[in-house]
Amino acid sequence: MTWVVRLVVLVPALAGLAGLLLARSRPAAQRIAVGAAVATTVLALIQWVAPLGTGDIDTFGALPLGDLSAPLHLLSDELSGLIGFVVAFVVLTIQAYTVWYLREDARYPQFAAGVSLFAAGMLLLVQSADLVLTLVGWEIMGWCSWLLIGHDSERAAARRAAYKAFMVTRIADIAMVVGLITLSVRARSTDLFAVLTEPGRTGLLTFGLVCVVFGIAGKSGLVPFHDWLPDAMEGPTPVSALIHAATMVAAGSYVIARLFSLYAGNDAARTVLAVLAAITMVYAAALAFAQSDLKRLLAYSTLSQVAIMLSALAAAPAAFGVGPGMGHLVGHAFFKALLFLGGGWLAVIAGSTALAPMAGHVRSGVVLRWGMAIGFAALAGVPPLVGFFTKDTVIDAALEGAADGAGFRAWVVVVALFATVLLTAAYCTRAWLVLANGPQPARRPANGALEVERVGAPAGSVTNSRLAGVAWSPDGAVVAAGTERPPEQTSAGEPDPELVDETPPAPSEHRPSVQVAPWRGWWSDTELLALLRTASVAALAAGSVLGTLLLLTLPGSIHVGWLSAVVSVLLIAGAAWAVWVVARRGQRDAADVLPQPVRAAAVAGLGADTAYAAFGRAVVATARLVVFLDRDVLDAYPRAFAATTRAVGRAGQRTHRAVPSLGLIGVVAGVVVVAVLGVTVWR
Amino acid sequence: MAVTILVLVPLVAAILLLAMPPVSGADRAVALVASVATAGLAVVVSALRLEVDVMWIRALGIRWHLAPDGISIALILLTVLLTVGIVLHTLHGPPPEGGTRSTLLGCVLLVEAGALGTFLARDALLFFVAFEVVLVPMWVLIRRFGDHHRTDAVRADAAGRFIFFTVLGSTLMLVGILFLVYHQGSSDLGVLAAAHGSGMPHGVQLAVAALLLAGLGIKVPIWPLHTWLPAAHTIAPTAGSVLLAAVLLKMGTYGIVRLAVATVPDGVATLSPVLAVLGVVGIVWGGLACLVERDLKRLVAYSSVAHMGFVVLALASGSHTGLQAALFGNIAHGVVASLLFFVVGDLKEQWGSADLAVARVALRDTAPRFGLPLVFGFAAALGLPGLVSFWGEFLALYAAWFPAPGRPVALLRVCVVLGAVGLAIAAGYAVRVIRIVWAGEGSDPAASPVRDLRGARRAVVVALVGATVVLGVGPQLLLHLSNADAAGLLEAVRR
Repeated sequence: MTWVVRLVVLVPALAGLAGLLLARSRPAAQRIAVGAAVATTVLALIQWVAPLGTGDIDTFGALPLGDLSAPLHLLSDELSGLIGFVVAFVVLTIQAYTVWYLREDARYPQFAAGVSLFAAGMLLLVQSADLVLTLVGWEIMGWCSWLLIGHDSERAAARRAAYKAFMVTRIADIAMVVGLITLSVRARSTDLFAVLTEPGRTGLLTFGLVCVVFGIAGKSGLVPFHDWLPDAMEGPTPVSALIHAATMVAAGSYVIARLFSLYAGNDAARTVLAVLAAITMVYAAALAFAQSDLKRLLAYSTLSQVAIMLSALAAAPAAFGVGPGMGHLVGHAFFKALLFLGGGWLAVIAGSTALAPMAGHVRSGVVLRWGMAIGFAALAGVPPLVGFFTKDTVIDAALEGAADGAGFRAWVVVVALFATVLLTAAYCTRAWLVLANGPQPARRPANGALEVERVGAPAGSVTNSRLAGVAWSPDGAVVAAGTERPPEQTSAGEPDPELVDETPPAPSEHRPSVQVAPWRGWWSDTELLALLRTASVAALAAGSVLGTLLLLTLPGSIHVGWLSAVVSVLLIAGAAWAVWVVARRGQRDAADVLPQPVRAAAVAGLGADTAYAAFGRAVVATARLVVFLDRDVLDAYPRAFAATTRAVGRAGQRTHRAVPSLGLIGVVAGVVVVAVLGVTVWR
Repeated sequence: MAVTILVLVPLVAAILLLAMPPVSGADRAVALVASVATAGLAVVVSALRLEVDVMWIRALGIRWHLAPDGISIALILLTVLLTVGIVLHTLHGPPPEGGTRSTLLGCVLLVEAGALGTFLARDALLFFVAFEVVLVPMWVLIRRFGDHHRTDAVRADAAGRFIFFTVLGSTLMLVGILFLVYHQGSSDLGVLAAAHGSGMPHGVQLAVAALLLAGLGIKVPIWPLHTWLPAAHTIAPTAGSVLLAAVLLKMGTYGIVRLAVATVPDGVATLSPVLAVLGVVGIVWGGLACLVERDLKRLVAYSSVAHMGFVVLALASGSHTGLQAALFGNIAHGVVASLLFFVVGDLKEQWGSADLAVARVALRDTAPRFGLPLVFGFAAALGLPGLVSFWGEFLALYAAWFPAPGRPVALLRVCVVLGAVGLAIAAGYAVRVIRIVWAGEGSDPAASPVRDLRGARRAVVVALVGATVVLGVGPQLLLHLSNADAAGLLEAVRR
């Protein structure tokens, strides 16, 4: 059975390597990627149903290090089983969806391999019983995020977003590395259980735990490290779903959960976490309301939701354990992946990821409409969807924490949670109203998703022009940077997110579809691909409805207090009603009531990017100073040496005019005399 | 006997190659056979731990004592395998400028002979002799075969700088060795290590350690003695750059472990705060320089300074973990830097320069066989887990957080934090390079594309990528190799 645990990591890792190094053809890459995802899901399911309850599963032997040990073990318990299964399942839906989404992309094999590697990193982190392995999985995810966000490396915006994401998270990783090392050295071992059971020395412990909080703040997007995530929307939609739903962004809360017994006894570290999480959750939810781009809206909502998970870990009483936080992780994984995949589908139909052009398109298909509806409702926390249960469990846990004497940190979290519930309901309602109420596009056959897709299949030539790095809009207009360009662009230019509100929905004119060779005889490729997409969305929608059942296996993950539930339902209903009124029953965008400067500032992330850029410039200025010092100060000594030697040589040359002077003869004679005298007298 | 032959094969082949008339085509066969035979012999010698121990200079008591052990085997294998790679690479490229191919190959094999002698020597003076053998051929490689797009004065400067620094280092080291041998009455490294500095007053130990560390630190190079390295790397041909990075720098760290840490532990312990600070300054300094450096080869050279900083930091910790980390980081840097120099050197060969500011075609789609190894190389350079460098760097920080008793804990912990900052800086420069060269930031799609890697050159690069991954996934392979001898070396220190 221990092999199952190892294979859960090994299968996607090998699939990633194979896809990267071997698979050149698309069918092979598809088979490897989807096959490995299916296998991983099955293995993870076995692991979840029958967890081994051990933390001593060898990977490849302990490192021989002498004083400090690093056993590199894996673990398998209920928590790792559940999270591992959810990760594997979400990755499977994403892999299936990607086959459709990137059907015209020549770089599909690389992308699918990247997703597999990413999954391997996350699953390693989930099953790691060793802080080094945790760090390994953590860093692998960071690297894969760089690779995948920058997938469309022809676009400067994608390159920049990838660089930004990697650098911001890597800078936070400074604290992560130091924190993990501190915790390990306390126990003289990187083994998780040794670290958890090591008594004493609270000063170092607090330092280590606070460092880890700042470390996870990077990938989890806590303020002030949050701004990479909205920009990461430059990546293709599947990778956005992957990063947000179950892997990188959620990984931080899992790491904290694994170390929970240390945090539970450490007030300082939990207060830091609570404050960061509370600020982030309200701030991001407020910004989400004003976004004009669906993907950026979802990105801000992720920041907010991840902060909710972390706040549960910061505020819940020690007796509650990690259930509330991990429960929300699972629920969020389903509905956020659903929203992203549905959003990507919408973006393909509308030709843009901006909200305005998408208006009305959500009615294009039954699965799409219901999927998005369920996704937004679950995000807002409407009962009986999974989001309601997990979010209210968090609220309940925070209230219990406050009652338990946690004081400041619990109250901060409680206030922030209620504010977030209100804001989340508001932005979900606003987004839904925009998506559902636009003018119905004339071209739409409106009899099911498959029809839409057949009409919408783009010409193969698109790929080539895209790969050549040329703007591929028909009229040759330069495409504005801002959001990801969905694979099926149909109309001129992509609106800049900041200008989107003024832009009327672009008229759609589709390219004629290309007849694709039949695949496996009786199904056309297009139909199969569309089916994969629809099935992925449907599976995630089912997860968002039924996810609560999965959580019954995790103790403490569902624990709804009736009072807080009533309050939050009232808040949700009130916010939804208010937005509905402001939006004039969906006749206009509710965010239009915001003053234009406020709106523009919110879309631009309130200048966080400018601050990051200023930091970057400061580092570069320091680097220039270093180069100056290196070339003109440190290197002055060898140059001075060379110059001095040359000067001495010249001086010597000048004094020796190659004419034996009288003085020289005298000196030589004197030396001879002295030598003779010396020899004779010595004897 | 086999050990002697191991050193003699490349030496004799080098002499043959250097003496060969320029028109003969036999250089290919000689170089290939010699390098492959050396590699085979080295594997045998390492596997069976063969040794040779005969009196060499009776009057001085210097023995011809060559033997591999856990600390040197990895370096020996790295040297011989990379030499095969360099020979293949040279034979499958355009004829070198500045001299004949046989001269170039002769110099490469001469460096190999010297390096093998250095790694195998068990006598301090034999070590010194072998250490010096590499200087002249390396100088020839830089001076004669250096970048011919640059003026002669630039090549002369780089080569002269190399000689000036390394000879200065050798001189300091020689004085240190003589001091040590005079005090201990033996030049046998085994005897010296077993004595672990006993019988030497602390002041003398300190002086010897300072001389040895300064001398060998130039070779490593430890900041601020590094300014010869970027110039030498930029000008040297690919063969020279790879040898410099993978062999010559390693001789420095190896020498520190073998000569200084083992024989004058107290002196080194006293100097360890200095070492740690210099190491960490090197990490940050080299990394920052890489952030704005325009010349790609120079950039890789500065990244070498940063990586060797981690090795120095690990040595400063003085613990068993630290020694393991340093030995591992040494090999890791050898593999990664040679991979990068092979790829970057080939790119420079086609581009005509290695200036990052020149708009070129992005490698990602036009030359994936260049692109992928480049991405692997820089991913390794930034310490990505799963690739070889991660373990050296992480373990260095881990060890430095918990140094051997008596070392300044607080100072070393500050150094660890700064070292972790260095990891972030490494990410910055590595991704910067990939973004420009591979993803095409500021690229010019109309520029002429590079010919993709093919044949033997590709095989060499692929083998190095494989080594990066294999050692990154299984660091135990190397750590087990050095574990017992590292422990033995420190047992002496502990007593």
